[in-house]
Amino acid sequence: MADREIDYSNPAYYYNRELSWLQFDRRCLNEARSKENPVMERLNFLSITASNLDEFFMVRVASLQDMSKGGYTKRDIAGMTADEQLDAILAEAHAFVGSQYSTYNHQILPALKAEGITMVDDYRELRADEKAFLDEFFETEVYPVITPMAVDSSRPFPLILNKSLNLGALLKRKENAGPGILNRTKKSKKTLKSEKENLEFATVQVPSVLPRVIRLPLEEHPELVNGHVPVRVILLETVIREHMDQLFQSYDIVCAYPFRIMRSADMDIDEDEAEDLLKEIEKSLKQRRHGNAIRLEVEAGIDTRLLDILVEELQLNKDEIFMIDGPLDLTFLSKVRKLSGFDDLHEHRYPAPQEVPELPKGCDIFAQIRKGDIFLHHPYESFQPVVDFISRAADDPDVLAIKQTLYRVSGNSPIVAALARAADHGKQVTVLVELKARFDEENNIVWARMLEKAGAHVIYGLVGLKTHSKITLIVRREEDGIRRYVHLATGNYNDITARLYTDVGLMTCKEQFGEDATAVFNMLSGYSEPRSWNKLLLAPLWLKERFKFLIGRETQHALNGEPARIKAKMNSLCDPDIIEALYKASGAGVKIDLIVRGICCLRVGIPGISDNIVVRSIVGNFLEHSRIFWFANGGRPEIYAGSADWMPRNLDRRVEIVFPLEDPAVKEKAEHILDVELMDTMQASILQPDGTYEKVDRRGKEKINSQMLLGEEAVRTAQAAEEARRQTRNFVPEVPPTHDEVQA
Amino acid sequence: MAIHVFGAIDVGSYELGLKIFEISRSKGIRLVDHMERRIDLGSDTYATGKISYFHIQQAGQVLAEFRKVMDNYRVEAYRAYGTSAIREMTNASLVLEQWEQQSGIHIDVISNSEQRFLDYKSIASKGEEFNRFIKDTCAIVDIGGGSIQISLFNEDKLSATQNMPLGILRLYDQISHIDMRTSQVESIVEELVGAQINTFVKLYLGDRKIHNIIVVDDYLSSVAEAMQTEYVNADKLSDIVRSAGRLGAANVARRLGIMDDSYNLVYLSGIMVNYIMQRFGAEKLWVPGVTLCDGMVYEYAENHKIIPPSHDFEGDIISCAVNVSKRYQGSEERERTLEKIAVAVFDATKKIHGLGKREKLLLRLSATLHDCGKYISMSNLADCSYNIIMSTEIIGLSHIEREIVANVVRFNHSDFVYYEEQNMASDIDRESYLTIAKLTAILRIVNGLDRSHKQKFGDIHITVKGDKMLISVKPGVDITLEKGMISRRAEFFEEVFGLTPVIKQRKS
Repeated sequence: MADREIDYSNPAYYYNRELSWLQFDRRCLNEARSKENPVMERLNFLSITASNLDEFFMVRVASLQDMSKGGYTKRDIAGMTADEQLDAILAEAHAFVGSQYSTYNHQILPALKAEGITMVDDYRELRADEKAFLDEFFETEVYPVITPMAVDSSRPFPLILNKSLNLGALLKRKENAGPGILNRTKKSKKTLKSEKENLEFATVQVPSVLPRVIRLPLEEHPELVNGHVPVRVILLETVIREHMDQLFQSYDIVCAYPFRIMRSADMDIDEDEAEDLLKEIEKSLKQRRHGNAIRLEVEAGIDTRLLDILVEELQLNKDEIFMIDGPLDLTFLSKVRKLSGFDDLHEHRYPAPQEVPELPKGCDIFAQIRKGDIFLHHPYESFQPVVDFISRAADDPDVLAIKQTLYRVSGNSPIVAALARAADHGKQVTVLVELKARFDEENNIVWARMLEKAGAHVIYGLVGLKTHSKITLIVRREEDGIRRYVHLATGNYNDITARLYTDVGLMTCKEQFGEDATAVFNMLSGYSEPRSWNKLLLAPLWLKERFKFLIGRETQHALNGEPARIKAKMNSLCDPDIIEALYKASGAGVKIDLIVRGICCLRVGIPGISDNIVVRSIVGNFLEHSRIFWFANGGRPEIYAGSADWMPRNLDRRVEIVFPLEDPAVKEKAEHILDVELMDTMQASILQPDGTYEKVDRRGKEKINSQMLLGEEAVRTAQAAEEARRQTRNFVPEVPPTHDEVQA
Repeated sequence: MAIHVFGAIDVGSYELGLKIFEISRSKGIRLVDHMERRIDLGSDTYATGKISYFHIQQAGQVLAEFRKVMDNYRVEAYRAYGTSAIREMTNASLVLEQWEQQSGIHIDVISNSEQRFLDYKSIASKGEEFNRFIKDTCAIVDIGGGSIQISLFNEDKLSATQNMPLGILRLYDQISHIDMRTSQVESIVEELVGAQINTFVKLYLGDRKIHNIIVVDDYLSSVAEAMQTEYVNADKLSDIVRSAGRLGAANVARRLGIMDDSYNLVYLSGIMVNYIMQRFGAEKLWVPGVTLCDGMVYEYAENHKIIPPSHDFEGDIISCAVNVSKRYQGSEERERTLEKIAVAVFDATKKIHGLGKREKLLLRLSATLHDCGKYISMSNLADCSYNIIMSTEIIGLSHIEREIVANVVRFNHSDFVYYEEQNMASDIDRESYLTIAKLTAILRIVNGLDRSHKQKFGDIHITVKGDKMLISVKPGVDITLEKGMISRRAEFFEEVFGLTPVIKQRKS
């Protein structure tokens, strides 16, 4: 079909990104329901759906509400206004929450019980010794840290913290208790039923400093359940609710119900005007605590008088209220997952991270990189070489400079510690800490200050752009001159998430990569951007055009009758320009296989437009996070990896780096990842023309779990490398241990 | 293997740049790092003669950062040069002092001709490629913000160089006030630059064609980079310029992959170079993408004998002076004789005058240009020569060096004015003035030795014995006139060197 006949802006060709996000949550929920997963992993998936939904509300719903309130009527690529999107996603979110709790109540609880774990939600079910334990627990642990807050004329409605769990109560003054102090003299606009009845409102925040899941004392001589010593647990809010009368002793507790609110997490920072970005972000974080309430979760069956007060004070619409058929905030399930004594219910089929064959323990990492490019694939391969790369550089007298971008780092990051040590050793340490990394702002402010104190040159990035790229540059003075070692990756410099997220990385000392890496840091430090790059593709200026060119080139190859194919893997796909380029390529006959874990606005199966495109999503034991892009290029394949998704925010509003994989062995490894994932029949779901996903039809197909397969391959490769090393009798001088190794 | 780390800083009119290089005998020059920061010093200076406080502070901070980067790379030596924005500042010394205090970086201000010469050296740093390109007829077009410099080569040697106020920013400023269609830009720019380019062609080329053009600029380099080549033929450049006129510069820049927002300047540069290529009849364009910093490191490496010279730059300077002399109808034969005798005297008295290689070059230039003022006035030769030299661009010379040459030529024809007597408006320092005195003393003697203009002293030997400088000439030459003249001219030589020149004839 000729281009000019197709209007690629037709909304029917696109799927709404918010609804697509919720589809991803559905796929996670499916994993929680899947009996093929061990029960503790099902808990984990259910917990993930809860945290995902929280993030969705704080970020996406908040943003749409702002648009709606601002009278923004522009339609998205799928042709929906902000109001239409809000209606659709709230309806979907309500249905989704229904599914979450149906899963919890009807599948997870029975499955836990069958293994000996009982969630007690009714105090009446407790044994006497359990009650005594909880009374003691409340008195000694809980009571000292809780602060009941009442509402009256001198104490306005308290600030309910975002995502905090609270107990709201209606109180009635005991008849013999004298005049009350909680007189609700501040009248509502409309007279609420509770006011008519002289009921007073109070709230108690369930303290986050205490564990929410309380393990009850063991029964004497318990009978094993499916081989486990049975465990009973209760949630902290249930205990507090039971002891509410101790908090308000002159009152009768008419009712008490848990509630939880979500606030907008959007921050409004004028970076152009901000003199000190760090201080400005700190200020905005404080303001964020007061963001508009956008969602209220209450226990189903809540007293309507109590609900009315909450709705009135928090100014919420009816569809923003979620009646929950079970405990609020299912993220507590990740704590249940950690209960000891149930190790056999965890996932053990996946091998632990393996040694990278080219980087055996104790090797001279720089010497190894000099031998050739090294490709890393986490978590199948260990992240330790990346930590060692920086740690060794910090202690190496020949290293002149270390430069790195940090987006999200772990709580006790060995990488940050190494950077601080390097600065302390007098090396030039330049660290870009992205202060605007959503939900990690406070963390990153702490890191930034710590690194500055250590003497590092900390930069906060470019005005108006988030620096999402993952790059490290080590400048080393060697016998034959200055050499630059570069690590480029798709994932953050976070040793914890590196065990859970699938990511790829490249270590190289090729001159052209080194030059580009140097230019990246100079640019981030405020120096001029080079006019062109040797190897790296950078957003926001170059990347989108380059992707469009690469896709367009496949289109041309297809039209010329040459081999044309695209295989690409990313977290999300919603950039309209890229989707249009893909439609054109598909229309020209290019076979396109996409592995998109999360949001996908591309519609498949549109005749003449996207019928050559297959989109699959893999939701598995590890979070699929790597971005790999493969282009057949008429039989001369090109392959890239990087930090960018095909989303407008990545391509237009962030500093992202995509890098070519050039070494033949490295190319082969990266392409193999794509091929294995495209063969997945266990964890993959296929996007349907209506925007929903269906698991791969396994009939007649081999059972392939790509994550498992890649893990097993990593084991075999590491074993083979170890065996080869054992058979080589060369004397290899030992490299002194790193600072971290000594410390350990 | 000794590897030297060198830092080159360019304090330009629109940008401050630092390049870190490694230099070694085996590997030559290697760029390790570079950083540029846009600071528009030029617009302050050009408008008010001074740099604003804000820009002084900003530049000071950048220089302090440069210092840190150089320290991190453990730079052994550096050069920092200020160009036109600093040259034109009325309070340059105060600002430079402030920057030095703030950053520890000492900045030297270089003249336009020194700057262009370094640009030229930066191309020469490309080695064999440069030599291959200039073997054929060749012109270097050095495009700056305020002016362009066109230098012509003939058989490997620089034959002429001319500065014209046709800089890209200047042009941009001129045309930005004109209301016109995109398709008219090319013809309007051609009209603006045409008069001066055509005069240049008439003066220096006539019917001669220049086959190769080398462009040094900040603009066209991006087209070459985007096309992943340093070479563009005339037709290709023409195509690009025409399509930019048709489709808009932004679109063509985008198509070529130029993401720089200075595509308008790139377009103007393209139009101008295209026009020059057409007028010169050039076929091939080379855009080596070098900058002043590349010239600095090349000069440093060459001066410190870390790399062998790839080109005879002194020969270029002399050749340029010879062409200036030709324009003022000087006698090449006499100039060569004077130069030869002057060099002989200079070498023989080296231990006494203590001057170096560079001063010897200035003496050679003075000899070459010794009577260029005759073209204007035979009676006011001294001042006319001085003025011609001071108004003529001799590539490779600093302003002070040009003053030295001009004064040596002037005092060759008029009474010497002592340092203490001179007008204080001159910015020549005492040391340079001493050089003028020494070189004047030599040139006067040399001029006396060839008073007849018959090149009698083509074959001479000069030695110093005690307080005498013995000049022996071949037998059979009548040197009566010279003997008489030299006694008159020896007075100043004796005053300066404490030596009495004595002419004697060798025995047959």
